[in-house]
Amino acid sequence: MTTTDTGQRRRSSDHRPLIPSLIDEATVLSIAEEAWLALVGEDEVLVPLSVELPVDIMSSWVDVVGPWTGSVVLTTGRCTAEALSRALLRESAPEVLEIEDVEDAFGEIANVVGGNVKAALTGPSSLSLPQVGNAPVVRNPADVCRVDVVWRGEPVSISVQGALPPLPVLRPTPQNPLRENEVPL
Amino acid sequence: MRALVIDDSRAMRRIVSSILIGLGYEIRDAGHGREGLDVLDEGWIPDLVCVDWNMPVMDGLQFVSAVRSNPAWRSVTIMMVTSESEHTQIVRALAAGAHEYVIKPFTADAIRDKLALLGLLPQEVAL
Repeated sequence: MTTTDTGQRRRSSDHRPLIPSLIDEATVLSIAEEAWLALVGEDEVLVPLSVELPVDIMSSWVDVVGPWTGSVVLTTGRCTAEALSRALLRESAPEVLEIEDVEDAFGEIANVVGGNVKAALTGPSSLSLPQVGNAPVVRNPADVCRVDVVWRGEPVSISVQGALPPLPVLRPTPQNPLRENEVPL
Repeated sequence: MRALVIDDSRAMRRIVSSILIGLGYEIRDAGHGREGLDVLDEGWIPDLVCVDWNMPVMDGLQFVSAVRSNPAWRSVTIMMVTSESEHTQIVRALAAGAHEYVIKPFTADAIRDKLALLGLLPQEVAL
């Protein structure tokens, strides 16, 4: 007899960790604060506060691939991204910042934050080169750890978000009951 | 003293270069490992190379291996400056031939302290 795997059965070994079980908001905030102090300036403070992002935003991110796969995404207004880049470059900032300068500097901040988030996760993972543009979409709202902060009065969000959709939910039926080693998800 | 700074981020190259210039180094920079090897191939042999890990074209680990495979570049001290902070990565870099490892984010003092350990602080700064 031929059987077809409909994907509706999952074994307990199919478990995929979600980011809130691996890292908490306090750790993400602490990583971001350390990056800000070292890269942006010793007096630069991040205030944990949720303020609505402006319409014209920019995101930079790095992808993490390993036992947990997703992205570490920084999002802020374009003007704030430019101010961040100026602060990062300090006296070596050119008078007129080109968009490439902003993308490069804002991407580097995501790289540093992402590298340290990766180090806080269990198991070996790899880190992509930073990217800048429209942030990857959130595939699973349960697989997100987001911290909202204010820097120099402007909102910045730091989001550690999974790249994979939720696993299908197993619902036992009379024809298809739960068996040993199967777990409802 | 001479230093070669290799990082795909121009911002990070400027930051590291600025610290080293402040310590009295003469600087050249490169955007990835292959460009870094080109500088060495020209005959511009630095005392110190600060190299990132994740870069396009040739990453930092490949660069370290390439430098260590050439006896003419034996005198070059290599310090990895990277956001790769897992212990296994640090061990890999040191095993490949890097002398020191600095994790981003870093402060100017952290770079200075590492250089002091390596005996690479210019004399007038070390005093």
